[in-house]
Amino acid sequence: MEHPSYDTKNIISYHGPINIDLVSFISNYLRQHIRANSSVVGRIYKVLIELIQNVSYYSAEQYSNVRSFGSGIGYFRVYEAPEHYIITTGNKILSEHNTILRQNSEEINRLGEEELRELKRKTRTQANIRDIGAHIGLIQTGLLTGNQIELKFDPIDELYSYFTISAKVNKEI
Amino acid sequence: MKSLNIEAIPDSPYYPEVSFDVETGICVLRGESYMEEAYKFYMPLLDWLKQYAVEEKHTVTLEIKLTYFNTNSSRLLLDMFDILKKAEDHGTKVKIKWYYEADDPDIQDEVEDFEIETGLKFEMVPMED
Repeated sequence: MEHPSYDTKNIISYHGPINIDLVSFISNYLRQHIRANSSVVGRIYKVLIELIQNVSYYSAEQYSNVRSFGSGIGYFRVYEAPEHYIITTGNKILSEHNTILRQNSEEINRLGEEELRELKRKTRTQANIRDIGAHIGLIQTGLLTGNQIELKFDPIDELYSYFTISAKVNKEI
Repeated sequence: MKSLNIEAIPDSPYYPEVSFDVETGICVLRGESYMEEAYKFYMPLLDWLKQYAVEEKHTVTLEIKLTYFNTNSSRLLLDMFDILKKAEDHGTKVKIKWYYEADDPDIQDEVEDFEIETGLKFEMVPMED
């Protein structure tokens, strides 16, 4: 994964509470300000919403004074590298979730497109309508980008880790 | 039974506009769909379709004009299609038209996945600019 360097350009970064109105504002801001063809911008839009809504819903750190649901505190960044746009999100999670997240992402990275579509259909059919879960958002990210998803877990203390995920959207579709 | 209409809200573009017409059977979803707790928004739509198409057996034409929907909303769209499949299996005439943007490289696969999951056939219609 490319990391910020001389040949990358930061487009937007943010840390704080993420609610639906911020998701809407940021995604539409990006749609208007990224100079790429509309298919690429559309994919960035779709991937960003899936990933930052996962932070909003499932971050272990919630801005609960304001809302009871969908106000997770976390981080996101979108930047441009020579071949890709890179979307990174980060949030605090219970370390006990590290293993399942790692297993899920390894499965997504291992599967081909048709197998991923099959996994998405199976996951969607079995999902609870009240809480579909974070897994399908990661599957969708793998499908939309066609690239490997990168995960990182940094221990915070005995209970929590800081979970970072990065996805690359190709400039050429 | 009454028509179900939910107007678009410019400040909340994550809710689609809904127009389910009891007289014509034309049911339209238009805009984007990525709201929180999607089931709360979609439950009245599912209940309306159950009564209209399954219980009262009215012909339905569902027109999907969504330019974006997240995976959470796709779960509820799947429920909507399952209801229409049930109606079709019981003899109700059902048509689903999916309007798509020409520059969306992913929509054909999305719709094909819904067809595989439900056994319904969707008509793909290009959106006009």
